Amino acid sequence: MQRASTVILLRFQSDLRYRNLVLRATQAAAKLVGQGDHPVFDDEVVAACSEAFNNIAVHAYPETPGEVEIQIEVHEDAVTIRMLDHGRSYELDDQPDPDLESLPESGLGIFIIKSFMDQVIYRPGAPNLLEMTKRIVSRPEQAATV
Amino acid sequence: MKYTLIDGENGAVTVRIEGQLDAITVSDIRPLFDQLTERRPRMVTLDLSALRLIDSSGVGAIVSLFKRVRSDNGDFHVRGASGQPLAIFKLLRLDRVFSL
Repeated sequence: MQRASTVILLRFQSDLRYRNLVLRATQAAAKLVGQGDHPVFDDEVVAACSEAFNNIAVHAYPETPGEVEIQIEVHEDAVTIRMLDHGRSYELDDQPDPDLESLPESGLGIFIIKSFMDQVIYRPGAPNLLEMTKRIVSRPEQAATV
Repeated sequence: MKYTLIDGENGAVTVRIEGQLDAITVSDIRPLFDQLTERRPRMVTLDLSALRLIDSSGVGAIVSLFKRVRSDNGDFHVRGASGQPLAIFKLLRLDRVFSL
């Protein structure tokens, strides 16, 4: 992965009303990766970030909103998004992949993140860190480490 | 998010959803889905041609509606999904369920 050409930093409360700010910044950053239009890449990055921010707003800070820091790195061939929070942590691999044939109505967020991003790393701590990377040419090297 | 309910012939109902169906807006549309299923429509069509973004919360609401309509022997169709919503439906293999 090339050195980041652009870094976008956001910091605000984990209120779902702010989620569109994250998604607009993420979508704009995704469009800067590579050459030409790649709408599927953009859509998948936005979908993953949407679920990641939901998780923080709903699960990391279930009672009162807390601080979230978001770092978006634009590389020549990839985008990396880091979300840092001081709320409740979780284990990325605790939740098994959903049985899609049973048409689940919940428990899909982490599956969407892992499926759409090439590399997903979660490190619980102070702060909790979720790092998601997607390359313009996807490679099946998804990884989850704690 | 904005929605429009259109009553058709022979118990068919179309719901057009515009904008975003997500963790914020899903609470606005669940009551509509509840009212809709109480009427036991013969056919429900979701028109998602103006839906810009959906998340897992929105997908959950649509799947719940699908299950309830089908359990009452109604037909259920989704049409017009594109972009990010279509990517989500394909990932979750709902494009086959909804015949997209």
